[in-house]
Amino acid sequence: MASSANLPAGFADLEGFVPEWVHPDAEHRLVKRLSSEMDDIRAFYVAMLERGEAALAWLRDYELGVLPPEGERLLRLMLMLAEVAPAVEWYGDPRVYDGFPVERLRYLRQISDTAPQLQPGDAR
Amino acid sequence: MNKMARPPVPGIGITARYPEIGTGPVDTAIYHEPAIYEKEMKAILRRSWYMIGRIEQVARAGDFFTYFMPTFQQEVLVCRDRNGEINAFHNVCSHRGNVVEHRREGHSNGLFMCRFHGWSFDLEGNLARIRDEEGFFGLDKTCLGLKPIPMGIWEGFIWVCPEDEPYQSLEDFLGDQGRDTAGYAWGACTKSYQTEAEVACNWKLINDSPAEVYHIPVLHPHSAAPTMMASGNVMGRLLDVRIAGNHRTNSHYSVMGEPKPVQKLAYFHAAAAQNVARDDLDYEMPVGINATRSPHWTVDLIMFFPSIAFTLSAGMYTAHQVWPMGPNRSIYQQRIFVRPARTAAERFGQENTMVEFRDIVMEDFSTLERIQRALDTGQIRQFHYHDHELALRHQHHVVTRILAEYDRELEGA
Repeated sequence: MASSANLPAGFADLEGFVPEWVHPDAEHRLVKRLSSEMDDIRAFYVAMLERGEAALAWLRDYELGVLPPEGERLLRLMLMLAEVAPAVEWYGDPRVYDGFPVERLRYLRQISDTAPQLQPGDAR
Repeated sequence: MNKMARPPVPGIGITARYPEIGTGPVDTAIYHEPAIYEKEMKAILRRSWYMIGRIEQVARAGDFFTYFMPTFQQEVLVCRDRNGEINAFHNVCSHRGNVVEHRREGHSNGLFMCRFHGWSFDLEGNLARIRDEEGFFGLDKTCLGLKPIPMGIWEGFIWVCPEDEPYQSLEDFLGDQGRDTAGYAWGACTKSYQTEAEVACNWKLINDSPAEVYHIPVLHPHSAAPTMMASGNVMGRLLDVRIAGNHRTNSHYSVMGEPKPVQKLAYFHAAAAQNVARDDLDYEMPVGINATRSPHWTVDLIMFFPSIAFTLSAGMYTAHQVWPMGPNRSIYQQRIFVRPARTAAERFGQENTMVEFRDIVMEDFSTLERIQRALDTGQIRQFHYHDHELALRHQHHVVTRILAEYDRELEGA
């Protein structure tokens, strides 16, 4: 069934954050946080927090590896919420307040946003 | 999770349990003097073992990874062979010295081929093929295999030693600390993030950074402090410090504070590996972790001197690793290990854990280069340690003791 929606049914109110706040991995999410204005981060945070429980309830029904594209976008919006949370809740600033410059940290290994993760007891 | 309110705040008196480390101010020379660093390199760093990865990275025969040890400028190739054994070699082609495997990780069909002239080595390190072999002059291929590097495995971690003849075995290096912390669910946290940064400071400052929590109420006012303050632990005291030879473990105590809104989503709706004690442990904690068996325990910091410290709670752990690069230069590597996520919601929990820890460490690290400048310019010549900064005093004691022993060793030689 063709659909013009970027997000799962019921999350139309978050459409405005796609694609700006959808990024492919933790490294890019950090870059987005550091390059955003605090007002924009707060607007995103407030809207996402409001829908956080509903989004996680939706995402809980999907194992990693079988998410439809609109589900992947919803997950990545939630991962972006995790990334910006300290900016809003701890610092009032996109950067770590008075911190070591986080942009000097290089990611050597990340966890895939969407790939299935081997579970204890799974056959290889 | 621990909901008990207001446990008794730990008292003063930990340092007194270890009279050999003293109570006076300590000289800061070991944090910046080039000659001392040179001696540390010989007496401490080259004699130690280094964690470079985990066995899950080479789960199947043919799986490999490479790892560069910046302190020693040595590159290691780790692989699993067809007998299931894990092998570690210097990643150096025996022809002209190029790396045999240039990729960070992957799966080999059974041969590592140097991308210089195409010499090939098998998973046991044997030289298997020489391109245009007839042009060489009576080479003995059996003598031209990859050179093994001393390697050992502890709790699924792969450790190597930069010396051909290790000063001590891995087992002796890990000592009581290794025995007492074996059996934690090290292997259950199979997913990891890894980051690195160059920091203009002495390696011991990086070790000091998480080794005391006296700073938490001040340096981490909005992140780590609220939980501690909710516990009535307003001075940032430790539950316990246990010294085991050159190594040591700090036990942190807190009760669960009121989580921040996104933390609540992660903790209560996404099965996050939260950084607090849990009631639903599916394994028995080894004797060396939360050794006091306090119900107010949250985290242990398990330091294997000189270069790696694990912070662990019931459901996740991290590794702080320092690679010394000079008297006032280091490379810091951080690994965050979490349990695998099954659902997309759990994936959010992993990310929240990583972001929280990463940002708190950035708060910690704000101090490092500032302290180093004060050291390098002679502005601070002594450190005065609080009773609960015992771990730093212990590290100073260990370094000073080993350097003195090394001097006596040289005199005796």
